Formats: sequence, structure tokens, C-alpha cells
Amino acid sequence: MKDDKLTIVSFLCNWCSYEGADKAGNARLNYPANVRVVRVMCSGRVDPEFVIQAFKEGASGVLILGCHPGDCHYKKGNYKTLRRIYLLKRTLEGFGIEPERVRLDWVAAGEGERFAKVANEMVKTIEKLGPLELSEV
Amino acid sequence: MAERIGVYVCKCGPNIGDKIDVDVIVNDVNSIKNVATAKSHNLLCSEDGIKFLKSEIEKEKLSRVVIAACTPKMYEQKFMKACEEAGLNPYLMQMTNIREQCAWVTPDKTAATEKARSFVIAAINRVLLQEPIEKKEIDIQPDVLVVGGGVAGMEATLTLAQKGRKVYLVDKSPCIGGLGARFEEVYQTMECAPCMLAPEMQDILQKENIETLTHSEIEDVVGSYGNFSVKIRKKARYVSEEACIGCGACFEPCPVEISNEFDEGLSKRKAIYLPFAGALPNVPVIDKDNCKKLKGEECNACEQACPFGAINFGDEDKIIEKQVGAIILATGSMLFDPKSIPTLGYGKFDNVLTGLQLERLNASNGPTSGKILLKNGKEPKSIAFIYCVGRKEKGYCSGVCCMYSVKLAHLLRDKLPDVKIYNFYTDLCLPKKEHQRLYNEAVDKGAKFIRSDGTENVTRVGKNLVVQYKTDSTKKKVSVDMVVLASAVEPDESTEKIAKLLDIPLDEQGFFSEEHVLMKPFGTPLEGVFIAGSCQGPKDIADAVAQGGAAAGRILSKLIPGEKLELEPKVAEIDEDLCSGCSTCITLCPYSATHRDEEKKIAVVDDALCRGCGTCVAACPTGAARAKHFTKEQIFAEIKGVAK
Amino acid sequence: MAKPKVAFYWCASCGGCEEAVVDLAEDILKVVEAVDIVFWPVAMDFKKKDVEAMKDGEIAVSFINGAVRTEEQEEMVKLLRRKSGLVIAFGSCAHLGGIPGLANFWNRDTIFERVYKEVPSIANPKGVLPKTKTKVGDMELTLPEFWDTVRTLDQVIDVDYYIPGCAPPPDIIMNAVSAILEGKLPEKGSVLAPDKSLCDTCPRSEKKPEKISMKEIKRPYEIIPDSEKCFLEEGIICLGPATRSGCGEKCINANMPCRGCFGPTKEVIDHGAKGLSAIASILGIEDEEKLSEEDVQKLVDKIVDPAGLFYMYSLPSSLLRRKKI
Repeated sequence: MKDDKLTIVSFLCNWCSYEGADKAGNARLNYPANVRVVRVMCSGRVDPEFVIQAFKEGASGVLILGCHPGDCHYKKGNYKTLRRIYLLKRTLEGFGIEPERVRLDWVAAGEGERFAKVANEMVKTIEKLGPLELSEV
Repeated sequence: MAERIGVYVCKCGPNIGDKIDVDVIVNDVNSIKNVATAKSHNLLCSEDGIKFLKSEIEKEKLSRVVIAACTPKMYEQKFMKACEEAGLNPYLMQMTNIREQCAWVTPDKTAATEKARSFVIAAINRVLLQEPIEKKEIDIQPDVLVVGGGVAGMEATLTLAQKGRKVYLVDKSPCIGGLGARFEEVYQTMECAPCMLAPEMQDILQKENIETLTHSEIEDVVGSYGNFSVKIRKKARYVSEEACIGCGACFEPCPVEISNEFDEGLSKRKAIYLPFAGALPNVPVIDKDNCKKLKGEECNACEQACPFGAINFGDEDKIIEKQVGAIILATGSMLFDPKSIPTLGYGKFDNVLTGLQLERLNASNGPTSGKILLKNGKEPKSIAFIYCVGRKEKGYCSGVCCMYSVKLAHLLRDKLPDVKIYNFYTDLCLPKKEHQRLYNEAVDKGAKFIRSDGTENVTRVGKNLVVQYKTDSTKKKVSVDMVVLASAVEPDESTEKIAKLLDIPLDEQGFFSEEHVLMKPFGTPLEGVFIAGSCQGPKDIADAVAQGGAAAGRILSKLIPGEKLELEPKVAEIDEDLCSGCSTCITLCPYSATHRDEEKKIAVVDDALCRGCGTCVAACPTGAARAKHFTKEQIFAEIKGVAK
Repeated sequence: MAKPKVAFYWCASCGGCEEAVVDLAEDILKVVEAVDIVFWPVAMDFKKKDVEAMKDGEIAVSFINGAVRTEEQEEMVKLLRRKSGLVIAFGSCAHLGGIPGLANFWNRDTIFERVYKEVPSIANPKGVLPKTKTKVGDMELTLPEFWDTVRTLDQVIDVDYYIPGCAPPPDIIMNAVSAILEGKLPEKGSVLAPDKSLCDTCPRSEKKPEKISMKEIKRPYEIIPDSEKCFLEEGIICLGPATRSGCGEKCINANMPCRGCFGPTKEVIDHGAKGLSAIASILGIEDEEKLSEEDVQKLVDKIVDPAGLFYMYSLPSSLLRRKKI
């Protein structure tokens, strides 16, 4: 099964996106089982090191989901995430890692459908790119 | 001692049990190092489940626990409590969500089981690195800051003071009373507002536990609910509040005359002045921008005239720091400036006034001592009110302009029995139980109400003002002596600055945003900061008073002297041996919870302010900042579990 | 008592580290007085066989500079490791990979292609590329294998301590040497330099505002920076906040921002990721609510070659170590 190779690690903020993922569950919306979850209090906690480490540990894609801009539970954490993740994506390009392997998006606490949609889209994107095979060193 | 982890997988009846092969997971993880026991349970959140969990912790001498069940949003607290009761620090428990984020979204049982297994392994990896966290409580400051001394602020102040709270009441103007004190009579009782407010104002000035700081503005606020530290700029008054008895001997000799903003520019005042007769506190203030002496010219007329030596040209602004537990913002509102609608002739023609200007003309402490006079000193014979001025521009109905116009129509008919009154309205807003009656009475008294389409325009023909209007699709006009514009209510000019200072949001209309529009209309999203009166939205006196009381009541019920405030345990901490004081964390903390320790040249976190978002930790370039319960090592361990 | 034996060796490096030893000036005499140098290819005539002839552990300390990128370097450092009590990774390249480590954005093929065929200064009409074995008449010439990936010293052998810097400044070297001679070494694996980052000692920290928002990005050649202001304040990316101190702020004093040669502080794994996280977090955050995602991207896009910038000295020691090719 493709799932074996193509793991997607998602960092979900506790207040919006994690709840959004729960809502997707409540509504029994399906998405592939290779979307895995790490809960953080705020998307602002997501350190670029986490994303890189996820790739090192075998993930082929990384999703970072936070509250919509302006709605951050901690007021402004997601603005920092926006800056960091974009710069990280540009940096990863230099490492030969396609920027599409990292996706930052916003999912509100009530947006179960949106969570499932983003998760499904991400899986499709990563399936198209194939597994991330880092060079052996 | 070797760690002993207990792993408990909940079947949640069929919810998880039918979708995930729980036994496979239990079997698999049983052999992982440090796992002392792995078991499944049919319903871990049940009374029986909790009992089971507690007995397991004791019996198996567990040092850490992993619970794989539903979303932690449901029962994490419950499981943490169970751990605590069984003698295990609750932060040594990790929950993982195999229901909402696994069983319910994965139709294929094998795939669901595989995913759940990765979650459980991640939780085992993580829990091994978790550290016990002890609860922290801090003392609170029961004193309260009220910003704005209008009716809402006064009600809040008095309610709090009555219960013995120390209240600091700050008003940017030289007196308290707000807009209300500038009205003669107010609807719906037609009571004299200064008479109605005077006892309250006196009370405020005299109560020992109220410190009134007029001519003052808040300049900086740091801290959070329970412990705010506020810097207040008490602007130089140049008149000693202790020495002055308010005799007014200083006004007459002052050679400067300028337009009086408290009479909406309808009168003149001196450079040393009281906003209006009877303003409280009854201590004049010198307007430093217009005083000759303070501008460096020769003059000391007021100083000479003062029999009590109360004039002090050497006075300076003072920064006063106060510690309070909560803040009530009651900064009020002002009127929309009709100049931006040129067709109404405001500012262009004499005798086109705003409602507030007419209020001042009508006030016995106003420019004409209560006489309704035209610019030429004669009484008007006809007056037109134009309603809804600025409603389209502001995008909302202010809800009070119809009623203040109806009230003024009443008063005018009483003062000038022969005056003709035309009210041009498009919609009438008469929402309260007494309003219809007042309107009916105004009609009975002969005020004409004409429904128009809102396209009125005002021109001048000879000495008269002509109002053109359209009603029933016909254009008509009427010639009048005076036009009164029922201007919309907009937020006070200080609103934006204060919002920035406290970092609280404004709504689309520029008023302070409520914590919840319906359920918490007196709160703001920032805990411990409340709003009352028309700074939250246009409202009449009764509503402003009610909101002031509600905000005060909320504080009295929550911020109780002697009680402690439990702090967020999952905060950031900074290792002082690693921090180099680069300021990154200080720059980005939305709660100002990090600040520079000038002596050590490092950043420090204030536990009382930190909410534990971890944004600073992710940004900290040296790794000096750590997020308790969300450390890099813990998250890396979790990644290791889920990424494979 | 016999003086302790010391070896110096260089791998993929520029020679600056050797200069740094000479830069000790009179202090070098103290070192020479205290130790017996048994191997130093750059300065003295010893051969590999001399080292091979020694007993295992006979050399008290080997100072090895340069990254490891060839078979020969690998062989030599493994030999030195066997013969030495302590191995010190000396300078940025041995410690982090350094400037030679930037080659990890390419591999052997692309590097050879460029160096032996494409560069304007090369005349190689037959397109000959180096080979490990070449027949010349009856003779077979050999060259060491050139690896695809540059490695830090500790990715090849066990390293006891690190002396950071490109090149390490004299006081850091002397302090390390004294610590070794006096047996006052910290925990194995330590970097022998202060734990705090450069802002701690930066002369510009005094006047730095408490909060810094980078409104724009400027490259050092675009402006003449105010010699007293924090570089970040002026929009110039400086890795000082993320980089270990101890360098003596030479770049800063020359009005150039820090590029990170001392590497990260001890809690940080990936120097570049941490540096970029800190910089990104303060990019245009004064009006952060008002900037659209496009505005943010435009601002970030002003950073030219972020991978090369943030990993200038630390690419081989980063989590990813190299570009995926």
C-alpha cells in the first residue's frame, strides 16, 4: 500500500485546527490514514527544526495548520508561522525538497470539512510527488 | 529507577473497538522497553474506567501513563485528575486521539489500526520525556482601574467602591461626568442631568477609596488579569488641586480668549478655565498651548488674581504607576462630524447645529445660559431636525439620535411655545418602552414629523435656511431659522490608541470588540479588561449605566481579595546560562510576557503573563527558551512515532 | 617527564586554520615549549608512516582542521583517531563543515562537470575528469576518491572537543590548549567557547531597542550600515543571535554582519533552521495584521539564496546535511 511510504506529519494547533480535525471525525469525513497528527498549543510553536526532523524521520509531507489570520487563540502566533514556514519552504528548495511538501494552511475549530479537504488535497499532492527519498549520507 | 509506563487503549464501546484492532496494538506495545503494562478497556471515561485506571497506577506502580482514547478535548482533564488522585503527576500522562482523528475517519480497519499504533508509539516516546509540572498560583491585586468618568465609568466606580474596592478613575478631560454632564434634560424622564449626576460625582470625589485622576491619560499597560501595572500620565494642570477652592477669580483677568470645545465652540473660554460652570472637580486648568506665560510671553494675571497661591506655572506632567487586577474601559463616544456631508451646510452656514450644540444652547450652564438663540441673538421661529446624519457613512444606526431629537423637540416647544418644528426622518428608532409615548407627546405638542427619503439638503436664501427634501416622491422645501443635525454616534478619538495600548481588538465600526456580542457584551477578548458604555457601541444613559454595573459586578464576583489566581502551567522558560539577550522573544510575545533583565542582559519570562503558546520558543535562536510540556525533545519523540 | 605529543592535520580547508596557529605569535613558543609536535604536514616534514609507526594513543592530542570530503582525508583522520588520546575538531570546517561544506548543494558529478568543464578558466578540450585510477604507460596512478558529500569530522570519527571559528581566534585556541595542558577540560563533546550567542558580547547590543521588527531586507553591499546600530534594525540579516560567541566580534567591528562561523549554541541541532526561524519571526511584524500573505512573501523573497545564507558554515552538520540530488 502506498500509505506505507507516504506519511504526512501534521502539526495542529490546539485551539483551531486540532478541533477542526476532531470535527472531521465527528462528521465521519474520511481521509487517508497516513495523515498523522502532532498537537502543539499554537502553530507559532512549530519550529522549522520540527518540519525538517519530520522529513528525516521519514515523512514525505508536512502539514502545519493554525487558526485563520486574525483568529489566533494567542492573538498573533500564526503570523510568525506564516513568515517562518514560507522562508523555510524557500530554504528547503535549496535542499532539493519541493516546497509543496510543506503546506501551511488555516483551519478553524468548526471547519471539519475544511480539515478533511486540506488533508485529502495534501495526500494527493504528496502522492504526485512521490516519497521523499533523502540522499544517504 | 526504571520507568514503568502503563498504556491504556479505550475501545469506547464500538466507536473504537469496531474500527481498530485494539488487541493488536496492546500486544505490540507490550514489548516496548519501559512499558510495564498495556491493556484495553471498554470505556475508560466511565466511573468504572476511572477506578480501573487509578487502581492500575497504584498496583502497577506506574511512573507514566499513556491513554489512547477520544480527543483530549473531552476527558483529558478527567484523566489528569484521576492520575493526580492516584499519586501521579498529571503531566506524566499523555493522551492520544484514536477516535476522532483515527477510528472515525478511517474506514479501513488495517489502516486505522496501523495509524492508531503509530499514535500510541508516539505517545509512549513522548511520555518518557515528559516532566512533572507543579501548579502555580499567584496573588491578585483587587484594585481596579476605570478609564472614563462618564455615566458608565461612574456607575462602575461606585459599584466597586461600595464593596470597599480601591478604584482609580482616570479621565482625560479636566472634569468627570462625561457627555451626560453636558446635557440639560435627558430622556426619558426629562430630568436635569447635572442635578441627577451631581450627587454621584460628589460621591466619587469624596469617597476615600476612589482616587480620581482627571486631565490624565493611561500611557502604558503591562501585565495580565489579576496583575496589571498601569502607567498614567497626569498632565500638568498648573493649578494646585489642594490649594484651589474653585472661586473662579482667575478667569476674568486672563487675557486669552479661545473657542470653548466643551460648548462645541459656541462660546469662548479663557486659557485658565473650567469646562463649564459646575464641572467637577471644581479646579480650573491652564491650557498650556494657549496660555501666554506658558508660551513664554509676559503674563501672570491669573497668578496675581488667585487669593490662595494656587497657580503653579512650574507644574509638570507626572507619571503615576498603579497596580490593578482589572480594568474597565468606559471611554465613551463622540458625534459624527457632519462637515463631511457638504450638502447639509454644517460649518458653512450659521445656525446649522449638531444635536450636541443644541444641547449646549439649551443647557443652563451653556453659552447662552439655556436660551435658544440664533447667531444674531434672536430666538428662532422655526427649526428643522434632520435625522440619520452619518448613518449611511458610518454604516450603522446609532439608536439614540431619534430619541435625543424627539427630546429636544419637546424641550424647544416648552421653551419657545410658538416655534415651528420639522423633523425629517427616514426611519424612526424608538426601541424602548417609554419612547413611543415621548414621541406621541412631541407630536401632540405640535412638532411635525415628515418622512423623507434621506436626501435633504440645506441652502441659504437671504437670511433664511432652506431645507429641500423629498417625500412621497415629491420634492419640497421649507424655510427655517435653524437646522439641527441628528448626528450619528462614533467612538471617542482615544479608542484606537487605547486598543493599541492594551492590544485589544476594535470592531468594524471602530468600537471596542466584545468578548462575546451576546453573552459577554461587557468583556473584551483580553481577560481582566472590561468595557462599559458607548465605547462598546452607541447607547443611552440607562444602558451605559447598566453595562457599567455589569462590568463592576463581574469583577466583584471574579477578582476576590485573598483568593489566588491559578497560572497556566505550560509556560515558556528561559535558561539564563544560554540566553544572550537577543530580544527576539521580546519582540514577538503578544502578551509582553518576556522582558529584558537589564542587569543580566537576558530575557526573562513572567509566568503570570505567559500563556504558553510557544511562539518565542520556536523563534529563540539559541534554544534558551523552552516550552514546558512541549519541549523540542518531546515533540521530536512524537514525530519519530508518527512519521514512520 | 616527556612532553605530550601533539599532531596537526588538515583536511578540506583553506589553510586559514594553519595560519591561526601561527597567529598565536609569541604564544606559539609557549605551546612548543610545553608539547612535542610529532606531525604537522603543513609546517614540518613527517610522513604518514611516522604516524603509523606510533603506538595507539601515543599522540596526546590531534588538532584536525578541515571537513572530510576525500578518501585520503577519511583514512588519515581514522589513523589519527587511533593514535590519539584526544581529537580536537579545529575550526569551522572540521566542526560544522564550513565553507567547503557548501559543496553539499552539489555532488561529485556536478562539481566535476563545473570545475573541469564549464568554468571559463578551464582548458580541457577532451573533457577529462579526474579518476581514482589512471594508466600512464605501464604505471597506474591513483588519486583518492572524491565523495559526493562533505562530512564534518565527527561524522567520520569520534571527536572529543571542538574549537570553533573560521578561523579560530588566538584566545580561543590558547584557552583550549591551556585547558588541555592543565587537564581542565569540560564534558566530552563540548565546544571550547562560550555558550551564549553573539548578542551577549556584541558591542551593538547596548543601544539595541527592546523590540526589533525587520521592515525590509537589505544586503550588506546595498547600504553602509550605521556602525552602532544592530544590523537587524537596518534590515541586514545577521546570524549573531543564533551563533556562538567567542569570535571577538571581528566581522561586527568591520561593519559586517555575523555569518555564523562559530556555529550554533549547544541546545541547537540545526543552526540554519534556528537562524531562519528567528529572522522570519521578526520580519515585518510591526504591522503584521495588515500585511497580506503576498506582502509577507514579497518581503521574504528579498532574501537571496536562503539555504546558502542560513547554512553558510553548517550545511554538513545540519539535520539534512546535503541537498537531495
